[in-house]
Amino acid sequence: MSESLYRDILKDHMHHQRFAGRLEPADLKAVVHNPLCGDELELTIVLGGDPSEGAQRPIQEARNQVRACSICVASASLMGENIQGLSLEEANNLGTTFREAMETGELPDSPPEFLPPLMAIRKHKSRIRCAALAWNALEECTQQVTNPKSEG
Amino acid sequence: MLEARSDFPILKRLIHGHPLVFLDNAATTQKPQPVLNALLEFLTHSNANIHRGVYQLSEDASDAYEMARQAVADFIGVKDSRRVVFTRGTTESINLVAQSWLRPRLQAGDRIVLTEMEHHSNQIPWQLVAQERQAELDYVSITDSGELELNHLEQLLAQRPRLLAVTAVSNVLGTINPLETILDLAQRYEVPVMVDAAQAVGRIPLEDWAERCDFLAFSGHKLYGPTGIGVLCGRFQRLDEMSPWQGGGGMIAKVGRQSSSWAAIPARLEAGTPPIAEAVALKSAIEYVQQWGVSQIRQHEQELVAHALNRLAEEPDVTVYGPSQAAKRTGVVSFDLEGVHPHDVAQILDETGIAVRAGHHCTQVLHERLGVRATVRLSIALYNTLEEIDSAVSALANVRKVFS
Repeated sequence: MSESLYRDILKDHMHHQRFAGRLEPADLKAVVHNPLCGDELELTIVLGGDPSEGAQRPIQEARNQVRACSICVASASLMGENIQGLSLEEANNLGTTFREAMETGELPDSPPEFLPPLMAIRKHKSRIRCAALAWNALEECTQQVTNPKSEG
Repeated sequence: MLEARSDFPILKRLIHGHPLVFLDNAATTQKPQPVLNALLEFLTHSNANIHRGVYQLSEDASDAYEMARQAVADFIGVKDSRRVVFTRGTTESINLVAQSWLRPRLQAGDRIVLTEMEHHSNQIPWQLVAQERQAELDYVSITDSGELELNHLEQLLAQRPRLLAVTAVSNVLGTINPLETILDLAQRYEVPVMVDAAQAVGRIPLEDWAERCDFLAFSGHKLYGPTGIGVLCGRFQRLDEMSPWQGGGGMIAKVGRQSSSWAAIPARLEAGTPPIAEAVALKSAIEYVQQWGVSQIRQHEQELVAHALNRLAEEPDVTVYGPSQAAKRTGVVSFDLEGVHPHDVAQILDETGIAVRAGHHCTQVLHERLGVRATVRLSIALYNTLEEIDSAVSALANVRKVFS
C-alpha cells in the first residue's frame, strides 16, 4: 500500500475516531498522560468471561476518551478497532508488537492491520509517544488483572 | 540586524528541502561562529584542568575560566565576580538555592511564594523542599492578559514567606514582569527573592536586578552560548551562608578523615571539574551580544513580535495568549489554532522547515490557568526576520488544509 493511502487511513481515523468515549461502569480503567504536552487518554474496558480467567477474559468492549493530538487519536481509534473481542492478553500482545515495530522500524511477518499505517510516524521520533499512549493505557489495564497489587 | 544571519552557520541548513526558519529561541538559541570558534579554539590550544596544575597550560585555562566569570559579572552588572557561580544551567542554579540555601532554613508551616507563570524549573525545586519540610507553596495569580496580579503578590508577601521565586519573563506569554516594583515590594516585607532570568538575559536590559535581588539564575545556551553552562548570581552574604551541595574536588579548604572545611565562595559551590570550555565560550557569547547591544536586540525583537501579533490577529481561528502590546513582552508568542492540536500544527510547519515548539512548555500550572492543555509557541532571536514571521503565519493555511 502506498504512503498516501496510509495517510488517508490515519486521517480517516483522526477525523472519525472509532470506539470513542467512556464505559460506565467499566471493569478496567486507566488514565495516561503524555509528558510532552499534557495530553490525556482514558481507556475503559468491559470484560466478558469469568474473573477466574484472568488475562484470558475477552474484551467485550473498549473505549478511549482522548484529549490529544491527531496521531494519538488515530492510534487510539485503530487500537479500538483491533482489540474488541480479543482476550486481554492477546490485545496487550498487539501492544508489544506495536512497540517493537516502532523501536526497530521492522514490520513482523503478517503484521496486524493497524500497524502499517502507523509506521510512517517513526520518521518523527517524538510522535511515537503520542501513538503509544493508547497502548500504554491498555498495558496498564492488563497489569491491573495480571498483577493487581501494582494497580495505580 | 540582518547582517547577523551570516554569523550563524546553521541558518544555511535545509530542512525537508526548505531553508530552516528557527523560531524556537525560547528553548535554545543558535550559536554564532565566534562562539563555535571559542569552543574549538580552547579545546584545540588551551585545554587543561583549572586550579590544579602549576604548569603554564593549566594556569592559562584557569585564567580563561575566571575571565569568563568576570565577563558574566560585568554583563549582568555586579561588581564582585565572586558572586557569580557557574552551574550547568538555570535548573541547576535554582536547585542549588533550593537545596543549599532554602532547605536548611525551611520549617513546617513556612510559605514559599511562586507565580502561576513559573517554568517547572522554578517550581519543582521548591515543591521538592516544601514537601520534605511540610511547607506551603502560594502562587501569585495572573490576569487574563497574562500579567501578575500585584495586589495578590503583596498579600502573599505580607504573610512573610521564606522566599519569593519569580521569573523575569514568562517563557510562554512573553510577559516582562515589573521587577522593579516586585523587588520594592519584597524589600518592604523583607522577603528574599530568587529571579529566574533565563528568558531575560540578552533579550532585555537587566537594569540593576542582579544587584537588588538575592539570587538570579540563567543559562548560557539561551544566550547564544553552549549548553552545559549556566549562572547563579547571589548576594555575597547569601552565597556565603550556603553549605556545599555537592562534595568533591575544587570545593575544599582542608580535608580530614572525618570532616573537612570548605573553600571560599564561589569555589565552594562548584564541586568537580567545571564546564571550562563552555564557560570560555559563554564569554564569547556575551561579547557577541554586546557587539549588537541588548537594547538593539530588544528593539529588533519587539519589531518582530509586534508584526507577529498583528499577523496572528488577522486570523480569526487563532487565540494568542499574553499581553496584547508588544512593549510588554519579549519575542515569545504562544497561540492556539482552533480545532487543531499544537503538535499537529508544529508538525505541518516543520514540513516547510519552520521550527516552532508545541506542548505545555514546562508550564502546566500556567496552561491550566489558561484553560488549554498545550499551545504552539514561536519565539524570536536576533537573527530572525519579518519574512520568517510571515512564512510561519502563512503556513497555518497548510495546517488548516490538512486538518479540516
